Amino acid sequence: MLSRKALLPFALASLSCAVLCAQTLEDGMMMPRKALCTGFLYTHDGWDRYWEGTLERGNGNIGTITTESVTWFGNYGITDRLNVIAMVPYVWTEASQGVLHSMSGFQDLTLAAKFRLLETPFTSQGSLSAIVVGSLGAPTSDYTPDFYPLSIGSASKRASTRTTLHFQSKQGFFVNGSAAYTWRGKVTLDRPAYFTDGQLYLTDQVAMPDVFDFTVSAGYLKGGLQVPITFSQQSTLGGGDIRRQDMPFVSNRMNFSRLEAVVMYALPKPKRVSLRLAASQVLSGRNVGQSTAFTAGLLYTFAF
Amino acid sequence: MNTRCAVAHPLAVATLAAALVASGCNKSLPTSEELSPTSPTSADTGAGGWRMIVVSGPGQFSVPSPALAGSASYQSELASIRTAQANLSVAQRQSIEYWSGGGVLRWNQILRELVARYNLPPAPRDDDSYVFPDANNPFADPAFPFANPPYAARAYSYVALAQFEALKVAWAYKLQYDRPAPHAVDGGIRALMPATGVSAYPSEDAVLSGVSTELLRLLFPAAVEEITLRAGEERQAALVSGRAAASDIAAGLALGRAVAAAFVARAGSDGMGAAVGNAAQWQAFANAAAARGEVPWQSLESPPRPPMLPNFGQVRAWLMTPADVARERPGPPPSTASAEMQQDLAEVKDTVDHLSREQLAIALYWNDGAGTYSPPGHWNDIAAEYVRDARFSEVRAARVFALLNIAMHDAAVGCWDAKYAYFNPRPSQLDRSIRTSIGLPNFPSYTSGHSTFSAAAAAVLSYLFPGGASSFAAMKDEAGISRLYGGIHYRADIEAGKEHGARIGAYTVSFARQDGADQ
Repeated sequence: MLSRKALLPFALASLSCAVLCAQTLEDGMMMPRKALCTGFLYTHDGWDRYWEGTLERGNGNIGTITTESVTWFGNYGITDRLNVIAMVPYVWTEASQGVLHSMSGFQDLTLAAKFRLLETPFTSQGSLSAIVVGSLGAPTSDYTPDFYPLSIGSASKRASTRTTLHFQSKQGFFVNGSAAYTWRGKVTLDRPAYFTDGQLYLTDQVAMPDVFDFTVSAGYLKGGLQVPITFSQQSTLGGGDIRRQDMPFVSNRMNFSRLEAVVMYALPKPKRVSLRLAASQVLSGRNVGQSTAFTAGLLYTFAF
Repeated sequence: MNTRCAVAHPLAVATLAAALVASGCNKSLPTSEELSPTSPTSADTGAGGWRMIVVSGPGQFSVPSPALAGSASYQSELASIRTAQANLSVAQRQSIEYWSGGGVLRWNQILRELVARYNLPPAPRDDDSYVFPDANNPFADPAFPFANPPYAARAYSYVALAQFEALKVAWAYKLQYDRPAPHAVDGGIRALMPATGVSAYPSEDAVLSGVSTELLRLLFPAAVEEITLRAGEERQAALVSGRAAASDIAAGLALGRAVAAAFVARAGSDGMGAAVGNAAQWQAFANAAAARGEVPWQSLESPPRPPMLPNFGQVRAWLMTPADVARERPGPPPSTASAEMQQDLAEVKDTVDHLSREQLAIALYWNDGAGTYSPPGHWNDIAAEYVRDARFSEVRAARVFALLNIAMHDAAVGCWDAKYAYFNPRPSQLDRSIRTSIGLPNFPSYTSGHSTFSAAAAAVLSYLFPGGASSFAAMKDEAGISRLYGGIHYRADIEAGKEHGARIGAYTVSFARQDGADQ
């Protein structure tokens, strides 16, 4: 997608598993000490409408842009309060019309540390926890960020800090709010000049605007079942719009809001296996595709 | 309770985010070339005698003799410079520094930016039709112009040659009137720009501002406000830097405008107005190719887009007559029905299916597609570094860009002549499984425009900068083969384009050998 890149972290980040197998960067849950949740997720993302700046349109020269990814994910509990998370996706992109070549490859490795600052009873109904996450991301292959909307990512190094508040009721209902600020490093293109945001830049270096995002989730979490609905919004803090009939560019101001429904279920048998199914829809955006995405994942929890 | 928590939380994070945004680091990148102020190694005081193309000679334009140094009017001009220098603003200092990099180099850079800004094809309308940009309504959608490669090649050449000829005329009058710069006659005036070694009347900075403004407002009318502001800054910088007095500038501006008028008149009758053609003509190209037993070119865009500037091959060249253009036209490409074409097609298919990362990088490096300064702009970018390092006078710097760009304009004319003579399909048309890693240009394949531009440019630059010849040759070859890596050209297009471009470049080199600048 235009924001292929932009959406992926969310797709990956929202992969909470049930009970023993939990955790995304933005949820309110932790793996217990010496437990490892790991597995693979497959995501199919497609769009045929996109926002050229703020103008919503289709484009016969690309038709539908499909992005598929298989992501390996692992979350290990160093202690009950400190988890480390790693993930890396392999991504394929394709345009259904026109002549542009598909692209594929290993995208970015994300490494994160997730720390629960506090967990405290809150009202008579449940408990409140506060979690902070620090994460780093970097490309694992030499893919080009200069072929949007078919590039598999932005190829920028990233550092992100996230704060999450999670309220869990005794009956199983929860609400979760999370926000992150992501710093993004400069990207190097294969060409000596480019035009974006109203200016010609006579360099192969592209300054990437930082990103702010927040998510709000509500749902049910008890036993082996987790059913959240999540609204998320990403704002890129700078960058130019796609010009009229231009190609998208890596540093565009890619904004979107998205709604996602997830079902996570820990199978009664075989034990330690959880399934994750998710569907999401981009509701509004700027310089991104109007994505509809589906995810299916299989995760396994090891206890050491 | 749950609700209250959910509501309160985003506010808390928003505050945190605001704090983080405020502390965000400055990631700005330079948007203009770093050009350090330098004095030219030679003033080229005899440039007024160099041969011209459009202008008959300095005598075609009259420049009145300047007021005497002791006159009240001139003394009052000097006084105003002293006052200005005592009250320089930060913006004026920055402007002086910017224009000290060289007016010709700066205008070339501005032009590259304008081309990149306007190098976007019109979007299709809801009924799948396309509207052509309208010079009389440049702010509309689509904006005028669509600065595609032929348009860009022509624009670069008009601006560069007009600047060159205006400066040659200016140099003739500088020699004649020999009026020193204000900083040289008034001890109270500092020289805040590098010395040029030539006299001040008429001001070369004002000549450049005037000639560039008039050409650019013709070629990029929607950018007139920005162009006018830049030109004003250039003149202001010349004044407050102590390089030119108000009367030097007034004479230069008038001369620049007058020379521009000759070029604007030529542009109005060079055939560009008819370059778009019409639907009947587009069909006639296809019919003619079919009648020869060839598969005619088709637009692979959706909706299909009319071919780009089919009559650009009839636009007037600078150094070639229409007979020259016809004589230099390459022979036909391999027939679309031939085994040779099947072989060429298979090579493209094999290349795109097994593209290495290095090949992709080469394709992207030389892409120069929509939204960029175009292939001719890329060669201007390359030339700019050589001009900067050579420490040329303004008039000799202008010569480089003029010769380079008239050669590339003529290459565009010759290449477009060939493209529409043969109307040859792109690889992806003959084999729909060929997918490209750069945008597919919407005009016939044979010959490769990039190869033609690059060979013409390399020929001219190799003459002007012999030390760079091997580098230019390597760049020309890489630019050519990049089109095979990108999947948009057969090898035959590239080889024929390079040979064609070299022949066209030779016309300019032959002019350059005799224009008086190198004797």
